[in-house]
Amino acid sequence: MLKRYFAAITILATLSQAKAEEWVVPADKAKKVSPFAFTPESKKAGEALYKANCMSCHGMPGKNNAIPLVPPPPDLAGTVAQSLEDGEFFYKITEGRGPMPSFKNSLSANDIWNIISYLRSFNDKYVQEVARKITREGITEGNIQILFKLIKENKQLQAEVMNTTAEGKKPIEGAAVKLFAKRYFGNLPIDEERETDASGMVAFDFPKDLPGDSTGMVHLSAKLVDEDAFGEVKSDTVFAIGAPTCKPALNEQRAMWNVVQKAPLWILFTYTIGVLTIWGIIFYILLQIRKIYILGKNKEILGE
Amino acid sequence: MIKENENLERIAKEIMRPVGLSKNFILWMSFLGVILAASLVAYAIQLQNGLTVTGMRDYVSWGMYIANFVFFVATSLVGMLITSVLGLTGISWIKPIGRIAEIIAVAFAAVAGLVIVSDMGRPDRLINVFMYGRIQSPIIWDVTVVITYLTLSTLLYFLPLIPDLAIAKTRMDHCPVWLQKLYEILSVKWGHTTEQYKIMLKSVRILMVVIVPTAFAIHTVTSWLFASTLRVGWDSTIFGPYFLTGAFVAGSAAVVIAMYVFRSSYKLEKYITAFHFDKMGKLLVLTMLVYLYFNINEYLVPAYKMKAADAKHLHELFVGSHAFLFWSVQLCGLIIPIILLIFKPFRKPVPMLILSIVILIGAWFKRLIIVVPTMEEPFLPKQHVPHEFMVYTPTVIESMITIGTIVMAIMIISILSKLFPVIPIWEMAEEAENESEHKLNE
Ligand code: HEC
Repeated sequence: MLKRYFAAITILATLSQAKAEEWVVPADKAKKVSPFAFTPESKKAGEALYKANCMSCHGMPGKNNAIPLVPPPPDLAGTVAQSLEDGEFFYKITEGRGPMPSFKNSLSANDIWNIISYLRSFNDKYVQEVARKITREGITEGNIQILFKLIKENKQLQAEVMNTTAEGKKPIEGAAVKLFAKRYFGNLPIDEERETDASGMVAFDFPKDLPGDSTGMVHLSAKLVDEDAFGEVKSDTVFAIGAPTCKPALNEQRAMWNVVQKAPLWILFTYTIGVLTIWGIIFYILLQIRKIYILGKNKEILGE
Repeated sequence: MIKENENLERIAKEIMRPVGLSKNFILWMSFLGVILAASLVAYAIQLQNGLTVTGMRDYVSWGMYIANFVFFVATSLVGMLITSVLGLTGISWIKPIGRIAEIIAVAFAAVAGLVIVSDMGRPDRLINVFMYGRIQSPIIWDVTVVITYLTLSTLLYFLPLIPDLAIAKTRMDHCPVWLQKLYEILSVKWGHTTEQYKIMLKSVRILMVVIVPTAFAIHTVTSWLFASTLRVGWDSTIFGPYFLTGAFVAGSAAVVIAMYVFRSSYKLEKYITAFHFDKMGKLLVLTMLVYLYFNINEYLVPAYKMKAADAKHLHELFVGSHAFLFWSVQLCGLIIPIILLIFKPFRKPVPMLILSIVILIGAWFKRLIIVVPTMEEPFLPKQHVPHEFMVYTPTVIESMITIGTIVMAIMIISILSKLFPVIPIWEMAEEAENESEHKLNE
């Protein structure tokens, strides 16, 4: 019995090992390329993003100082990582695997391309290929906007996707829209990805119990999924759509680790009493020395 | 109440003879001054370049300075042990050495504060401790209690000195005028009246009582600077008494050394006798036995459980990179002196001096053994850092500054013992009076 158990474990371990070694990116995704040419500015923006999101695991590029995870996070300036196609890079960062987190919801496509731009700057042989401008049929260049509308009664959120061109405003039909609520760490997807109808409208069902701030306010963000076609189209808003949460601030109560004004009473009391007592006695002793002096002076006067 | 008679005359003359500025004293102070100047140069370098001139890095951020600080606080506690604990229990043989213990307390407590400043990369920010300090932090308790203990010790040194200053001021023709003036001011018009004695004795008794909790607090708080952090080797509930008993060992050894030096250089053999060395030897054995007991406790309990991190730490101490220092300190600073001092011949002045020097040096290194090995074993992965981050090696500059603080303490002791009588004249005269009365009654 035990033998079979161990055999199963070994096989599983071998399988997962095999999985850890190869991380295959679907061919169509691997072909994806950046919509913009990498510049010193994109590299600089990427460096800041890398330091904030990636360095804690991967270390400094080129320094081989990643943290020891299993599987290990590779040095992204190394030859292995640099032999990845841009699309593979993009896919792995967006999707993640195992300990490598998915950045789909917390970084925009632009952000990820900036990071790749930064990582490529460690590779002298790299020559960038930039995406041809893809345009969707029937969409002329213009200013695409997402407008929010809250339907309070049934907690539904509507968004209207409009394209403003020289000819006026026009709804965009059939564009996939994703909605997120901003949380402390990253973005929480709300409802499913939805497509706009002929009037450019989508509707999202909003959960009834999503915690908002003390007045129920929730920061929302909607974006168009097809960034290749529309570019980065995003819109943020705040609605009183969540459940109000009144958690007291962590530093509200008196605590050992709080500022001195919020020190626990017992310690304020003990410390103050202790210091006052001993220094009171010291003061008393100083008065006694004065008394000795006065006595001596009186004796001197009497003696003379 | 003392009487002006030939007893007082003789005692005052003998005790006051070394007081004043002699050629030897000036030579000695210049020698110390040169070392101090060198250490001040080292400190200037540290001020300019910051703490990178020391061997301290990210992991070992407490090194020689903190060990030195603990040593200073520890040594200063002997004032409380001798004047208060023994004094309040009515032990009379401490009378001639009580003031020496108090001088050591004042000198070491005063310099302890400076030692902490030496560990600050930005001493100009010290003011922030007073402006923004949180009373929940042991650092603030430490600052409070060091200042309080220094004040109490100074008063406990000064008050019983007042009658002596009054006795001495008429007998110091061999002293410079400014010193005579100083005596005049400091003797606060003491006229040997019964009332003045009453006030003085009462004040001294009050001080003797309040200095006990203060002294316990000062070293317990120092131990809490360690014990209130979650670290191997420090995460202990008995750190307070462990430090306190260790302090008594260091302080008693320092007193013995001072006794010997004053006795031979000031010709005070009549007052500090072989009998006093014998008694101090027994006191040392007692304090060392208690400290040994705490040591066994401190190492045996974790060594029995062998939690992973403790095991690594203890391995480094017992057989690893710190083993030589660890065993030297335990053997030479504790076990061998205990065994030797049990035998009477070793409690004679010269062997006592030698053993006390060894014990005191051991006490200094013991503090280093408490601070550094723990720092080298953080609960953090240590990786991708240079070798100097992993292993602490003190630098020359750091050592010079540390030597400077020790020199400073010796200078304070030298000045106090040279400018003022080291043995209480009035208490000795009282004693002599009692004795002669005793003889008359028989
Ligand atoms: C929590 C730690 C962690 C963070 C944070 C992290 N990664 Fe990773 N990353 C890993 C691990 C572990 C792997 C290896 C995963 C595997 O092989 O299954 C990895 C793999 C990768 C790979 C694939 C490398 C290859 O050669 O196949 C890329 C690319 C990558 N990470 C980029 C990033 C970027 C860019 C960021 C920041 C936006 C980031 N990672 C943040 C842990 C992390």
